[in-house]
Amino acid sequence: MTAILRIESRKRVRGSVILLAVFAVLSALYFSMFPGVQEEMDVLEDAFPGFMFELFGIEELHTIEGFIAAEIYSFFWILLVGIYFAYVSAGLIAGDIQDRSMDLTLSNPVSRESVVLQKLGALWVPLVALNVGVALIVYVSALAIGESFNPVALAMVHLLSVPYLLVCAGIGLVLSVGIDHVRSARAAALGAVIVLWLVEGVSSLDPDYEWIGAAAPTRYYDQTAILVHEEYALFDAGVLLVGFLALIALAVALFVRRDI
Amino acid sequence: MSGQTAAHETEPTADTATIRLDGLTKQYGDVMANDAVIFAVEPGEIFGYLGPNGAGKTTTIRLLLGLLKPTAGTATVLGADIRDRRALTQAKANVGYLPDTLGFEERLTGREVLEYFARLRGDERRDELLELFRPPLDKPVETYSHGNRRMLGIVQAFMHDPDLVIMDEPTSGLDPLKQDRLHRFLEDERDAGTTIFFSSHVLSEVQRVCDRVGIIRDGELVALETIEELLERGGKDVRVQLARPVDPDQFVTAEMIDVELVDRTARFTYTGEVIELLEHLVQYDVTDVDIGDPQLDEVFKHYYGTDSQETG
Repeated sequence: MTAILRIESRKRVRGSVILLAVFAVLSALYFSMFPGVQEEMDVLEDAFPGFMFELFGIEELHTIEGFIAAEIYSFFWILLVGIYFAYVSAGLIAGDIQDRSMDLTLSNPVSRESVVLQKLGALWVPLVALNVGVALIVYVSALAIGESFNPVALAMVHLLSVPYLLVCAGIGLVLSVGIDHVRSARAAALGAVIVLWLVEGVSSLDPDYEWIGAAAPTRYYDQTAILVHEEYALFDAGVLLVGFLALIALAVALFVRRDI
Repeated sequence: MSGQTAAHETEPTADTATIRLDGLTKQYGDVMANDAVIFAVEPGEIFGYLGPNGAGKTTTIRLLLGLLKPTAGTATVLGADIRDRRALTQAKANVGYLPDTLGFEERLTGREVLEYFARLRGDERRDELLELFRPPLDKPVETYSHGNRRMLGIVQAFMHDPDLVIMDEPTSGLDPLKQDRLHRFLEDERDAGTTIFFSSHVLSEVQRVCDRVGIIRDGELVALETIEELLERGGKDVRVQLARPVDPDQFVTAEMIDVELVDRTARFTYTGEVIELLEHLVQYDVTDVDIGDPQLDEVFKHYYGTDSQETG
């Protein structure tokens, strides 16, 4: 019984293509900019206070790895794609309940658990499209301007972001199951991803408060460490996966108990 | 039922009813959307579930489909207890459902929507149904008129040849011609053995197609009877315009109730045969006659003695 997965996957194609196009444009912009600004990056690093760089996890801006980690991954990937996953997930259940299509879906011989999991499963489309697409765009763009990436590090920056994006989706899904109005659920999901990102960024500036950020998913994904230092935090990725599974279990438990 | 037979009834015997409601209750705060509703729908009948808007019809249907959880009581659908999610999910393979609001995937074409439902539960009767009900299959559902949406809904509800079809206000949005077609289709389906549970707020529609009727008001089942019994009680709303005033003693017959005779206008509910009424009326100098179905609220007021002081 994969009818729901199929139809939901189709619905994810458009958003994935649009996001991929956005990243293609962004990459073209930053890669064409890099040769010109490379020399000035030292000046930039001196000009801004250190906490700005810590907040975004930025290092080694004069290298292509540091520059792309800062410009594309630390902001657009973590925040924009994270928000996309949370936002889409927040609409999965609440949207169907609101427009009453959930009535028809659940009149079929399909369990509520299966409905949630198939709808969530359809996120494989943006997950694969963006991770493969953006990795290729970045790799080819670097070659085009005469730079090069370590392909393993580039693959890892995407691979290890998958658990992070899944946690964002999990947050959205729980909100989608718990909040009746799709707009409220989406707004809450968007807000949650931004707030968690901010809390983690700010808390990491002060060792006394660093523990607060441990609850935020961005703590467990460090694009600069991967790209610049080639450090792959597999344990942190595991923490994210466990968090994702816990969120899914919570969403399913809430959904099978609630009235539609 | 006497006390002696009650003990036998509670024994676990094979339940032949297609739907059985057993004290089904759904409470929202202080509002009893369904208040200990009890009735059974037998195999191969068209059961009309009649009540004014907001009476609790849709709540019952959503409880039966497992979309809502009962506050108290329970029901069985094709033998599956609605509180047993797994059993109910399996039973749904043999249930068709036409909701009051049809939430289709708007961007898909009608054909793609049917493909989707076909994958979920089968479509052995799709082509046959599309000869009767013809939504524009190659257009996206978002461009559909209300009537086309409903026709697509009817096709998806019947195309897997279910044993039971639950329909929530099925004729709303259909023009009279298509309403008739649906009514005839439902009778054929009933004759072929399908059980149909049919909610409506239109008395005449229920009178026309249903074998038995349950009437719900303010969440309570107020009547459960065959259509013949309902017709006897139902009567017609009649307004007669006369050329000159008449003698009430002569004009009013035993079949007329709630008569209001003011000047040259007579209003009453007629409980006999319409032909007899017409034969009676030709004796008078009648300028205009209007014979119609009584408002559902009138039926309740006159025949079920329910007072609705507490709710509007």
